[in-house]
Amino acid sequence: MAEPTRGPGREPRATSSGPGRVLIAVYAIFALSATARAGVQIAAKFAEAPVAYLLSGLAGVVYILATIGLAGHGPGYRRLAWGAVLFELVGVLVVGTLTVFDTGDFPDDTVWSVYGRGYGFIPLVLPFVGLWWLRRTSARG
Amino acid sequence: MIGVLEIVAYVAAAAVALYGLFTTVRNRPPDRTHRIAVGVFEAVLVVQAVVAAVRVFTGVQLPEQSTFLIYLLVSVCVMPIALQFATAEPTRWGGTVIAVGAIGTGVAVWRLHDLWVAGNG
Repeated sequence: MAEPTRGPGREPRATSSGPGRVLIAVYAIFALSATARAGVQIAAKFAEAPVAYLLSGLAGVVYILATIGLAGHGPGYRRLAWGAVLFELVGVLVVGTLTVFDTGDFPDDTVWSVYGRGYGFIPLVLPFVGLWWLRRTSARG
Repeated sequence: MIGVLEIVAYVAAAAVALYGLFTTVRNRPPDRTHRIAVGVFEAVLVVQAVVAAVRVFTGVQLPEQSTFLIYLLVSVCVMPIALQFATAEPTRWGGTVIAVGAIGTGVAVWRLHDLWVAGNG
Protein backbone atom coordinates (compact mmCIF):
# COMPACT_ATOMS: atom_id res chain seq x y z
CA MET A 1 0.00 0.00 0.00
CA ALA A 2 1.54 3.27 -1.10
CA GLU A 3 1.44 6.38 0.96
CA PRO A 4 -1.72 8.27 0.06
CA THR A 5 -1.07 12.00 0.03
CA ARG A 6 2.65 12.68 -0.25
CA GLY A 7 4.30 14.00 -3.37
CA PRO A 8 7.42 12.39 -4.80
CA GLY A 9 10.87 13.05 -3.33
CA ARG A 10 12.06 15.75 -0.98
CA GLU A 11 9.41 15.58 1.73
CA PRO A 12 10.42 13.13 4.46
CA ARG A 13 8.06 10.23 4.91
CA ALA A 14 6.11 10.03 8.18
CA THR A 15 7.80 7.71 10.67
CA SER A 16 4.36 6.69 11.93
CA SER A 17 3.22 5.18 8.65
CA GLY A 18 3.26 1.63 7.32
CA PRO A 19 5.84 -0.63 9.01
CA GLY A 20 6.70 2.30 11.29
CA ARG A 21 3.50 1.54 13.17
CA VAL A 22 4.86 -1.88 14.12
CA LEU A 23 8.01 -0.23 15.45
CA ILE A 24 5.91 2.24 17.46
CA ALA A 25 3.87 -0.64 18.89
CA VAL A 26 7.06 -2.38 20.07
CA TYR A 27 8.42 0.86 21.54
CA ALA A 28 5.10 1.54 23.29
CA ILE A 29 5.11 -1.90 24.91
CA PHE A 30 8.67 -1.36 26.12
CA ALA A 31 7.77 2.11 27.37
CA LEU A 32 4.86 0.63 29.32
CA SER A 33 6.68 -2.36 30.79
CA ALA A 34 9.92 -0.53 31.63
CA THR A 35 8.10 2.38 33.25
CA ALA A 36 5.70 0.17 35.20
CA ARG A 37 8.56 -2.01 36.42
CA ALA A 38 10.70 0.96 37.44
CA GLY A 39 7.72 2.57 39.15
CA VAL A 40 7.18 -0.48 41.33
CA GLN A 41 10.93 -0.83 42.04
CA ILE A 42 11.33 2.81 43.03
CA ALA A 43 8.14 2.89 45.08
CA ALA A 44 8.62 -0.39 46.92
CA LYS A 45 12.34 -1.06 47.38
CA PHE A 46 14.36 1.90 46.20
CA ALA A 47 17.04 1.60 48.91
CA GLU A 48 18.01 -1.92 47.78
CA ALA A 49 19.54 -0.79 44.49
CA PRO A 50 19.06 2.92 43.81
CA VAL A 51 21.35 3.05 40.76
CA ALA A 52 19.68 0.12 39.02
CA TYR A 53 16.18 1.42 39.75
CA LEU A 54 16.96 4.95 38.61
CA LEU A 55 18.42 3.43 35.45
CA SER A 56 15.22 1.43 34.97
CA GLY A 57 13.25 4.64 35.29
CA LEU A 58 15.54 6.44 32.83
CA ALA A 59 15.15 3.60 30.33
CA GLY A 60 11.39 3.85 30.69
CA VAL A 61 11.46 7.60 30.00
CA VAL A 62 13.71 7.08 26.95
CA TYR A 63 11.27 4.51 25.52
CA ILE A 64 8.37 6.90 26.13
CA LEU A 65 10.21 9.73 24.33
CA ALA A 66 11.15 7.45 21.43
CA THR A 67 7.52 6.33 21.11
CA ILE A 68 6.28 9.94 21.07
CA GLY A 69 9.00 11.00 18.62
CA LEU A 70 8.24 8.18 16.19
CA ALA A 71 4.47 8.59 16.46
CA GLY A 72 4.49 12.37 15.94
CA HIS A 73 4.74 14.30 12.69
CA GLY A 74 7.25 17.01 11.82
CA PRO A 75 10.93 17.84 12.30
CA GLY A 76 10.66 18.41 16.06
CA TYR A 77 9.29 14.92 16.66
CA ARG A 78 11.89 13.47 14.29
CA ARG A 79 14.70 15.13 16.29
CA LEU A 80 13.18 13.80 19.50
CA ALA A 81 13.09 10.30 18.00
CA TRP A 82 16.73 10.53 16.84
CA GLY A 83 17.85 11.70 20.27
CA ALA A 84 15.88 9.10 22.19
CA VAL A 85 16.88 6.18 19.96
CA LEU A 86 20.57 7.19 20.01
CA PHE A 87 20.43 7.53 23.79
CA GLU A 88 18.78 4.12 23.95
CA LEU A 89 21.57 2.61 21.82
CA VAL A 90 24.30 4.10 24.03
CA GLY A 91 22.37 3.07 27.14
CA VAL A 92 21.94 -0.56 26.19
CA LEU A 93 25.58 -0.85 25.06
CA VAL A 94 27.06 0.83 28.16
CA VAL A 95 24.79 -0.84 30.70
CA GLY A 96 25.03 -4.14 28.85
CA THR A 97 28.83 -4.05 28.87
CA LEU A 98 29.02 -2.95 32.52
CA THR A 99 26.70 -5.72 33.64
CA VAL A 100 28.57 -8.37 31.68
CA PHE A 101 31.90 -7.46 33.29
CA ASP A 102 30.79 -6.42 36.76
CA THR A 103 27.48 -7.58 38.12
CA GLY A 104 28.26 -6.27 41.60
CA ASP A 105 26.85 -2.80 40.99
CA PHE A 106 23.59 -4.09 39.57
CA PRO A 107 21.99 -6.35 42.14
CA ASP A 108 18.66 -6.14 40.32
CA ASP A 109 18.05 -6.38 36.61
CA THR A 110 17.14 -3.42 34.44
CA VAL A 111 15.79 -3.53 30.89
CA TRP A 112 19.31 -2.96 29.58
CA SER A 113 21.18 -5.43 31.82
CA VAL A 114 23.34 -7.89 29.85
CA TYR A 115 22.17 -6.24 26.60
CA GLY A 116 18.53 -6.85 27.44
CA ARG A 117 18.80 -10.58 28.05
CA GLY A 118 15.75 -10.56 30.31
CA TYR A 119 13.72 -9.23 27.38
CA GLY A 120 14.93 -11.59 24.67
CA PHE A 121 17.66 -9.14 23.59
CA ILE A 122 14.99 -7.02 21.92
CA PRO A 123 16.39 -3.89 23.71
CA LEU A 124 19.65 -4.47 21.84
CA VAL A 125 18.06 -4.92 18.41
CA LEU A 126 15.41 -2.22 18.76
CA PRO A 127 17.65 0.90 18.57
CA PHE A 128 19.30 -0.39 15.38
CA VAL A 129 15.92 -0.95 13.78
CA GLY A 130 14.84 2.49 15.03
CA LEU A 131 17.89 4.24 13.52
CA TRP A 132 17.43 2.35 10.25
CA TRP A 133 13.79 3.40 10.08
CA LEU A 134 14.57 7.06 10.88
CA ARG A 135 17.23 7.09 8.14
CA ARG A 136 15.00 5.35 5.66
CA THR A 137 12.11 7.73 6.19
CA SER A 138 14.19 10.92 6.15
CA ALA A 139 14.15 13.27 3.17
CA ARG A 140 14.57 11.40 -0.10
CA GLY A 141 15.52 12.45 -3.60
CA MET B 1 -2.29 -18.92 37.73
CA ILE B 2 -5.92 -19.81 37.16
CA GLY B 3 -5.21 -23.10 35.45
CA VAL B 4 -7.36 -23.53 32.39
CA LEU B 5 -7.97 -19.82 31.81
CA GLU B 6 -4.24 -19.17 31.58
CA ILE B 7 -3.82 -21.88 28.94
CA VAL B 8 -6.76 -20.44 27.00
CA ALA B 9 -5.10 -17.00 27.19
CA TYR B 10 -1.84 -18.34 25.71
CA VAL B 11 -3.69 -20.15 22.92
CA ALA B 12 -5.75 -17.04 22.15
CA ALA B 13 -2.62 -14.84 22.17
CA ALA B 14 -0.88 -17.21 19.76
CA ALA B 15 -3.93 -17.43 17.48
CA VAL B 16 -4.38 -13.64 17.36
CA ALA B 17 -0.65 -13.10 16.73
CA LEU B 18 -0.49 -15.69 13.95
CA TYR B 19 -3.62 -14.37 12.26
CA GLY B 20 -2.25 -10.82 12.42
CA LEU B 21 1.05 -11.89 10.84
CA PHE B 22 -0.86 -13.93 8.26
CA THR B 23 -2.85 -10.92 7.02
CA THR B 24 0.35 -8.85 6.85
CA VAL B 25 1.93 -11.51 4.65
CA ARG B 26 -1.24 -11.64 2.54
CA ASN B 27 -1.16 -7.82 2.24
CA ARG B 28 -4.57 -7.29 3.82
CA PRO B 29 -5.52 -4.55 6.30
CA PRO B 30 -7.18 -5.50 9.61
CA ASP B 31 -10.84 -6.40 9.18
CA ARG B 32 -13.84 -7.66 11.14
CA THR B 33 -12.17 -10.99 11.87
CA HIS B 34 -9.34 -9.19 13.69
CA ARG B 35 -11.85 -7.27 15.80
CA ILE B 36 -13.70 -10.45 16.76
CA ALA B 37 -10.47 -12.33 17.52
CA VAL B 38 -9.13 -9.50 19.66
CA GLY B 39 -12.54 -9.22 21.35
CA VAL B 40 -12.54 -12.90 22.33
CA PHE B 41 -8.93 -12.70 23.55
CA GLU B 42 -9.74 -9.56 25.55
CA ALA B 43 -12.78 -11.24 27.13
CA VAL B 44 -10.56 -14.10 28.36
CA LEU B 45 -8.08 -11.58 29.78
CA VAL B 46 -10.79 -9.58 31.56
CA VAL B 47 -12.28 -12.70 33.18
CA GLN B 48 -8.79 -13.78 34.25
CA ALA B 49 -8.01 -10.33 35.66
CA VAL B 50 -11.27 -10.14 37.60
CA VAL B 51 -10.88 -13.63 39.07
CA ALA B 52 -7.24 -13.01 40.01
CA ALA B 53 -7.96 -9.57 41.50
CA VAL B 54 -10.84 -10.94 43.58
CA ARG B 55 -8.62 -13.72 44.89
CA VAL B 56 -5.84 -11.27 45.78
CA PHE B 57 -8.24 -8.96 47.59
CA THR B 58 -9.92 -11.83 49.45
CA GLY B 59 -6.89 -13.28 51.09
CA VAL B 60 -4.41 -14.84 48.64
CA GLN B 61 -1.00 -13.59 49.73
CA LEU B 62 1.61 -12.73 47.10
CA PRO B 63 5.19 -11.59 47.76
CA GLU B 64 4.95 -8.86 45.12
CA GLN B 65 1.31 -7.91 45.25
CA SER B 66 1.58 -4.42 43.74
CA THR B 67 3.67 -5.69 40.82
CA PHE B 68 1.11 -8.41 40.24
CA LEU B 69 -1.80 -5.97 40.19
CA ILE B 70 0.01 -3.63 37.79
CA TYR B 71 0.75 -6.49 35.39
CA LEU B 72 -2.89 -7.52 35.70
CA LEU B 73 -3.93 -4.03 34.63
CA VAL B 74 -1.40 -4.00 31.79
CA SER B 75 -2.66 -7.40 30.57
CA VAL B 76 -6.15 -6.01 29.87
CA CYS B 77 -5.08 -2.59 28.52
CA VAL B 78 -2.73 -3.54 25.69
CA MET B 79 -5.10 -5.21 23.19
CA PRO B 80 -7.74 -2.43 22.98
CA ILE B 81 -4.97 0.13 22.36
CA ALA B 82 -3.21 -2.13 19.84
CA LEU B 83 -6.48 -2.74 17.95
CA GLN B 84 -7.23 0.98 17.85
CA PHE B 85 -3.73 1.82 16.62
CA ALA B 86 -3.75 -1.03 14.08
CA THR B 87 -7.06 0.00 12.50
CA ALA B 88 -6.39 3.76 12.49
CA GLU B 89 -4.29 3.39 9.36
CA PRO B 90 -5.65 0.52 7.27
CA THR B 91 -2.52 -1.01 5.78
CA ARG B 92 -1.10 -4.52 5.80
CA TRP B 93 0.96 -3.59 8.88
CA GLY B 94 -2.10 -3.37 11.10
CA GLY B 95 -2.07 -7.15 11.50
CA THR B 96 1.53 -7.09 12.73
CA VAL B 97 0.70 -4.32 15.22
CA ILE B 98 -2.04 -6.58 16.62
CA ALA B 99 0.45 -9.48 16.68
CA VAL B 100 2.96 -7.39 18.65
CA GLY B 101 0.24 -6.48 21.15
CA ALA B 102 -0.80 -10.13 21.49
CA ILE B 103 2.79 -11.30 22.05
CA GLY B 104 3.37 -8.54 24.62
CA THR B 105 0.15 -9.50 26.40
CA GLY B 106 1.17 -13.17 26.36
CA VAL B 107 4.47 -12.25 28.03
CA ALA B 108 2.57 -10.22 30.64
CA VAL B 109 0.39 -13.27 31.41
CA TRP B 110 3.54 -15.38 31.72
CA ARG B 111 5.02 -12.87 34.21
CA LEU B 112 1.72 -12.96 36.10
CA HIS B 113 2.04 -16.72 36.31
CA ASP B 114 5.56 -16.45 37.79
CA LEU B 115 4.43 -13.87 40.35
CA TRP B 116 1.46 -16.04 41.29
CA VAL B 117 3.50 -19.24 41.63
CA ALA B 118 6.05 -17.40 43.81
CA GLY B 119 3.31 -16.94 46.39
CA ASN B 120 1.44 -20.22 46.04
CA GLY B 121 4.07 -22.87 45.48
